[in-house]
Amino acid sequence: MLHIEGLTSGYSIPVLNDVSIKVEEGQFVAIVGPNGAGKTTLFKTISGIVRPSTGTIRFANQDLLSIRPAQRAHLGIAHVPEGRQVFPSLTVMENLEMGAMTEAGQRDWKHNIERIFEWLPILAERRGQFAGTLSGGQQQMLAIGRGLASSPKLLMLDEPSMGLAPTIADFIFERLIEIRRQSNLTILLVEQRVAEALESADHGYVLEAGRVALEGNNQTLRADDRIRKAYLGM
Amino acid sequence: MTQVLEGFLQALSAGLLIGAVYGLMCVGLGLIFGVMRVINFAQGDFMMLGMYAAFYFFTALGVQATFGNTFGPFVAILLAGPVLAVFGYFVHLTLISRVSGTRTSSLEGEGHYAQLILTLGIALILQNGGLLVFGSVLASIRTPLSSSAWELGPLFYDVSVFINKARGIDAVVSLVTMLLLTLMITRSRIGKSLRAAADNPTAATYMGIDVDRAHRIAFALGTGITAIAGGLLATNYPFHPFVGVEYVIVMYAGVVLGGMGSIIGAFWGGMTIGLVQQMSTLILPTQLQNAAIFVVFLLIIFFRPQGFFGRMVERT
Ligand SMILES: Nc1ncnc2c1ncn2[C@@H]1O[C@H](COP(=O)(O)OP(=O)(O)OP(=O)(O)O)[C@@H](O)[C@H]1O
Ligand SMILES: [Mg+2]
Repeated sequence: MLHIEGLTSGYSIPVLNDVSIKVEEGQFVAIVGPNGAGKTTLFKTISGIVRPSTGTIRFANQDLLSIRPAQRAHLGIAHVPEGRQVFPSLTVMENLEMGAMTEAGQRDWKHNIERIFEWLPILAERRGQFAGTLSGGQQQMLAIGRGLASSPKLLMLDEPSMGLAPTIADFIFERLIEIRRQSNLTILLVEQRVAEALESADHGYVLEAGRVALEGNNQTLRADDRIRKAYLGM
Repeated sequence: MTQVLEGFLQALSAGLLIGAVYGLMCVGLGLIFGVMRVINFAQGDFMMLGMYAAFYFFTALGVQATFGNTFGPFVAILLAGPVLAVFGYFVHLTLISRVSGTRTSSLEGEGHYAQLILTLGIALILQNGGLLVFGSVLASIRTPLSSSAWELGPLFYDVSVFINKARGIDAVVSLVTMLLLTLMITRSRIGKSLRAAADNPTAATYMGIDVDRAHRIAFALGTGITAIAGGLLATNYPFHPFVGVEYVIVMYAGVVLGGMGSIIGAFWGGMTIGLVQQMSTLILPTQLQNAAIFVVFLLIIFFRPQGFFGRMVERT
């Protein structure tokens, strides 16, 4: 579904170097790696905020790089960005409506909003509250709900546990697993919580200093010595 | 005693009426700043163009002949709004979009220097171009209503208040326009996407909102709204190609008073300036009206720097 080949991308200096990543339909793929490895840069390149210098990105058999950034959401890519980035002066409900700006999101609005409220009931409770006044955990749930409201084909999540208390992070993780179980959504997740991420993902990539240092399926990665030492503390 | 009270009520009503139009004028600038974070130094000159557009609609393009002297000016003014909105749309498309929106990341100082130079340049071109095209003779869009009044009262004892008919209608047109704009911004999909683009352009792009298009809509709307306000002012005050310079000060003050970025705030900011200006005539000579505006402006900036409706929180 998402095929990234030989991607080199960055700012004034390159950050990603010859990165190739595949996400197939229905898969749950996790990307882990230390701070500054370029994980967020990769997501921004997929969404079109950062332009790559070389490489190709294909999504649903289309050349994604030839499509304008604002159009990419309409193809079915939902980006739940690092640091949540909800719209602070819009209410919870209006934030969800912004998620549903895509044609698919419009069409499925009724159905989607029902499911989102079922999965993340706090959003229903706080629907009239300004998003800027929500707690960090609530904002993260809103960011996820906003992503789901677009009826995406691919949900990209950039560190949904960032800056949250462990219990809240656990809860959000558990919700993601449940959402995936019920909806069969294709998910690309960036996470610092390597153990949890690798446990639930089908496939994983380790990104280090802008390169794919390691990749493999769930079992191979969890059995890998380097991963066990560096990330799982074993 | 009743004389003092009558003077006070008279100044108060005049302040409210002119304030409603100032408010609308400020909203045009506030909308552009609020959504795009671009300070448009040419806003006063867009307003001048709006005045002339209304003037020519009325005199040369048949509005006077069709709708008559009394209500024709208001029809002309409402036509000038959309025309200037289209003008604003193309100014954004061809010029402003080069130094704002998604292009700013590649520019020095997020494009603010380029925006300053560009909008000042547009202002100069419009002022001097206006002088060439329209000439320096004072123009006005007067209706017989400009020199007639409704008498309210006597309210109590012998106190009654006179409402200039043109200004009364100006204020009503202003309030209705403001109401429609508010509904659009708060309720419609497009209005919500403008607010989202203002809050966080990057996240708005992730939602599939074309931020440059949102800016273009805001710029067009802001231009059209200021043009309507300009036309309304022109029913009472004569104008010339450099008139924008006189009003642009009021616009900035109103937007800052209301809290940079708040659209409703810009309206109340303009309203405050109208009130201060008219009320000050009770105690100060007319020449000091503008001084009074600045004193109040400074006081408010001193005690409430975020404006009436400003939020201290930065946008994310
Ligand atoms: N806008 C920018 N301009 C210049 N350099 C940037 C910019 N954003 C990020 N970088 C640099 O790119 C590198 C990769 O950053 P990125 O945010 O992609 O890392 P990350 O893997 O997401 O890290 P984290 O786990 O801390 O979120 C860093 O060295 C960072 O300093
Ligand atoms: Mg990151």
